[in-house]
Amino acid sequence: MTDADTEVVEQTLRIEAAPETVWRYWTDPERLTEWWGAGSMVLPRPGGAFVVEMREGPVMRGEFVELVPYERLVFTFGWEPVDGVSLLEPGSTRVEVTLTPDGADTILTLRHSGLPTGETTEMHRSGWAQFLPRLADAARA
Amino acid sequence: MDEALRAVADPTRRAILRLVRDHEVAAGEIASRFPTMSRPAVSQHLRVLNEAGLVDVRADGNRRLYRLRPDGMRDAASFVEELWSDRLARLKTAAEQEEWPARTRAARRARRATDQEEP
Repeated sequence: MTDADTEVVEQTLRIEAAPETVWRYWTDPERLTEWWGAGSMVLPRPGGAFVVEMREGPVMRGEFVELVPYERLVFTFGWEPVDGVSLLEPGSTRVEVTLTPDGADTILTLRHSGLPTGETTEMHRSGWAQFLPRLADAARA
Repeated sequence: MDEALRAVADPTRRAILRLVRDHEVAAGEIASRFPTMSRPAVSQHLRVLNEAGLVDVRADGNRRLYRLRPDGMRDAASFVEELWSDRLARLKTAAEQEEWPARTRAARRARRATDQEEP
């Protein structure tokens, strides 16, 4: 998949806490669970696993790509397949988190790239629409 | 977003979505496909799918007809956009709460220092 076929989601917010504190909310499983999921496995080194089990059931399966302590965190992002079908294949999208100090605060920027667009193939038309036909195929097989 | 996630996380609800993907199916017929499950249990699954915006329901006489709602299937980008807004707001709250006591103490110390400097 080329860049032209994918979409990017970007968000920026100010957090009234130091980058060191915010960093721990990404890399310490206990703190991560406070805001993201019900459980997590975090091996904060390049190639290390980054798995978050959501309260709603689905599991995000990723892998750390780059870690610059208190500054930058890059990981792959995908949904673990259920019945052999995934909404986003693990490894197929990428999340970059940048922490920039601003006084005593932190400006957090999150960039999620590699998301399938509406204009690509029928299969990538949308997350859910992509999911269902493939689920049906898997069930028929 | 959480509702849709919860809705598709269940294997029975995914099976129902497959049933109603291409055409309308009556609630009774859906229930008959799950012989080991009680009618109220199937109705509950249909209600979850409807509330998550994944299926449409229409009355036809005394029958209720269900069908997959195509626009209920949002694309991957809007889906993760919602996911991140929701979760990052929680991260902000958690990180700020952790630092808040230290920040308050520091602010108090700074105020006291300023007060002492004043004649």
